[in-house]
Amino acid sequence: MSLLEVRDLVAGYGSGPSILKGVNLTVESGQVQCIIGPNGAGKSTLLKTIVGLLTPREGKIIFKGQEIQRLRPDQVLQEGICLVPQERALFPNMTVRENLRMGGYMLRDRRLMEQRIEAIFDRFPMLRERSHQKAGTLSGGQQQMLTMGRTLVLKPAVVMLDEPSLGLAPIIVERIFDIVRLFAESGLTVILVEQNARKGLEFSDWGCVLDLGKTMFDGPADSILSDSRIQELYLGKSKPTPAPETQA
Amino acid sequence: MSELIQILLLGLALGGVFALMASGLTLVFGVMRIVNLAHPIFIIMAAFISYWAFTLYQIDPLLTIPVNMVVMFFVGIAVYKTVLARGVDKPGYVTITVLITFAVALTLDGLLGYFFSNNQRVASPAYATEAIFIGSFFIPKAQFYAAMVSLGLIGLVWAFLKFTRVGYAIRATTQNRSAAQLLGVNVGQISTFTFGLGIALAGASGALMSFLFSFFPAKHWEWIAILMSLIVLGGMGSLLGAVVGAFLLAVVSAYVSSFFGPTWSPITFYLALFLILLIRPEGLFGEKQEAL
Amino acid sequence: MSTDNLTVAEIRGQRQVSVIEKKGGGKKELVIIGILLLALFVYPLLPVVTGSNHNYSLHLLLFAFLYIAMASSWNILGGYTGYLSLGHNVFFAVGGYVSGMLLASFGLSPFFTWPLAGIAALLVGFGFGFITLRIRRGPAFIISTIALLMLIRILFDNWEFIGGSNGISLPLIDLPVQLVKIPFYYALLILAVVTVYSSYWIKQSKIGLGLRAISQDEIKAESAGIPTSFYKILAFAISGLFVGIGGAFWGQYLTYMRPNIYLVILIAANLVLMSILGGRGTVAGPVLGAVILIIINEFFVSQFGGSELNIVGTGVIMLVVLLFFPLGIVGSLRQAGKLPKLLDWD
Repeated sequence: MSLLEVRDLVAGYGSGPSILKGVNLTVESGQVQCIIGPNGAGKSTLLKTIVGLLTPREGKIIFKGQEIQRLRPDQVLQEGICLVPQERALFPNMTVRENLRMGGYMLRDRRLMEQRIEAIFDRFPMLRERSHQKAGTLSGGQQQMLTMGRTLVLKPAVVMLDEPSLGLAPIIVERIFDIVRLFAESGLTVILVEQNARKGLEFSDWGCVLDLGKTMFDGPADSILSDSRIQELYLGKSKPTPAPETQA
Repeated sequence: MSELIQILLLGLALGGVFALMASGLTLVFGVMRIVNLAHPIFIIMAAFISYWAFTLYQIDPLLTIPVNMVVMFFVGIAVYKTVLARGVDKPGYVTITVLITFAVALTLDGLLGYFFSNNQRVASPAYATEAIFIGSFFIPKAQFYAAMVSLGLIGLVWAFLKFTRVGYAIRATTQNRSAAQLLGVNVGQISTFTFGLGIALAGASGALMSFLFSFFPAKHWEWIAILMSLIVLGGMGSLLGAVVGAFLLAVVSAYVSSFFGPTWSPITFYLALFLILLIRPEGLFGEKQEAL
Repeated sequence: MSTDNLTVAEIRGQRQVSVIEKKGGGKKELVIIGILLLALFVYPLLPVVTGSNHNYSLHLLLFAFLYIAMASSWNILGGYTGYLSLGHNVFFAVGGYVSGMLLASFGLSPFFTWPLAGIAALLVGFGFGFITLRIRRGPAFIISTIALLMLIRILFDNWEFIGGSNGISLPLIDLPVQLVKIPFYYALLILAVVTVYSSYWIKQSKIGLGLRAISQDEIKAESAGIPTSFYKILAFAISGLFVGIGGAFWGQYLTYMRPNIYLVILIAANLVLMSILGGRGTVAGPVLGAVILIIINEFFVSQFGGSELNIVGTGVIMLVVLLFFPLGIVGSLRQAGKLPKLLDWD
């Protein structure tokens, strides 16, 4: 049984049009899966729906065999799925350490949480140096590192990252991907939405192409990378047009 | 010179109480972006509880504080759940809540006025007429006790926010609601709790008001403008801001009262409000945000 | 009598509509409204001709006209633009005192000085709007309006020149008792008609579209090039203009002016409630709301006497409307597709 399965998901904001028009997704435990697609295809919306910020209009989300599409975000997190959103997800007036503590909000074991925070400080000395600094005063790259480090405090089963490298300098992007690798090595399952499709796919085990609210292609990441149609449609500069679904 | 210091002392004492009154208001705004125009009428409601406790049963108003806080906590939760919890994430929520709390204030104003009449009342325990002397300066005992209690309570609230898990959740929700949700905070529950807490703080303030100021139901409109000016100055949503704003304006109004007469001291607050909006709408410690 | 008020008011409004070219007919409604409006204009001739005393009904009607004007006026800022003024009776006081003082000091009738009252109101609107409306939407403006009300109240209470908290008394027009209300009746009737018509005109104009854009999404309106601050300040000033003129007449009508008549929050609350009840942002809404509320108020006072229960009533009605009928009567009917043409003035 797959860890996470999304079936024919339809969702939209408020009373507006449906952004997701029947998305299918399958994620295996321990996998790093990358979702690519043009702007407006619904990638962020998909992640938001999975985590419970949006209630789907149709379809199911099945995690560890349970349907979770009606759960609130805090309940979804309890089940084990965490979203690191595109918008800065920090608490600007809290210190770095306090932000990390918020990462462990769902952990009931205080001591475990402090242990994990220390481990994160070991790994990221930059954060330790600034542990008493207000998060709002950090640079963009540092903030992103803090946000992702926060995830390591909770160690959820599934981490969903919405464009983690957005707006960051190439050097920092490398560091960010190092952290994503760290997630994978720690046994977390990672779902990655990446603007830089090539880089994202190179990094991942599995890939999924979303366009016009539907799943267009899905398969092992390297097959998707080497597929010439996908190269033309999504990895090049041409406008996306509806293409027949393939199951690799 | 010594007269100026005397006025300063009186202003500071007052500032402490104002800070407590404003703290509940700013907390609620921070978490839920609700401007609770009914906050002062809740203070007055609690003042009545303390007043009757003293007048009928000779219970010292200061002792009624815990009772007031518990009672008003539940009143707050009841009010939140019945009229404010609907439509939390819908657009236009902030505007509607202003009108709703306005209507609640009107209703409670009318009810209190109908049952208890609009006569001025004040409880007068023994210390209301005594004073403490520090060198050649004095502070009326009532103000002094009230200020100490206020600062103590605010300190407790601050510690609660800083060190407890729920406190973290409240601060997180105030600073970034969706991020808090994504980290497992049940923002609905936190909102309800915080509203209750805000009104509980109003309850404590009411106990103090019962012997510090003469009160009557219709007076809440004056108070809403005053309290609002404090938190706008300090930065809406910021507890520290409310405290600083309260002390600053209380001291200034004490000087105004002394030089121009007590009728004019409320004007300090109104003018301060306009000035802040003109110069720095987000206040001293607030963030430049959409919903000011 | 009560039902007369209701239909008469709607109809009066429709009469202005017939003055402009309105597409889509509704001829029958226009005719009805025209006739009843005519009846309204003619009604005061009864006491003139017969000498009988109709003062109660005249009073009720002109009271309604005043509130129809004020509520429609409030709606321009509160309904079209979405900025709630909870201290709107400041304009009422400003206009009232300007004309009142001119009457008391120089014997000038408000029937001549009302433009000055209007200008004073406009100035206050522009000035205060300039201070508070340049920031983006938020509760700060609402609180400022309450603070302004409190401020003006203290000022007027302590300003000896205008009588302080005791106020001043004003001389009445020299007419026999059953005719003395008539000039005010016509003045306020015309004010109501003009205000509602202006409200309609503004809504259809470019400014009205801009205001509506602001009320829906101010940031988008700004980036679309709409001068949001200017429009908001203008709307605020205009919304105060008619209220100020109403105040000018009201002073002499009552024959005295005191801060605690003009400057109580209950008046502001009622203005807000009238628009919300009728339908915030619609043209007919405030009119309907004003009429209904005045009827309810009359009923209440006659049964229970004036007391704090009035305030409770206002608060409770407001809560019920806000929680269950946020679009008001006109808005809800329109949404359900059941709005009678008689009330569709948008």
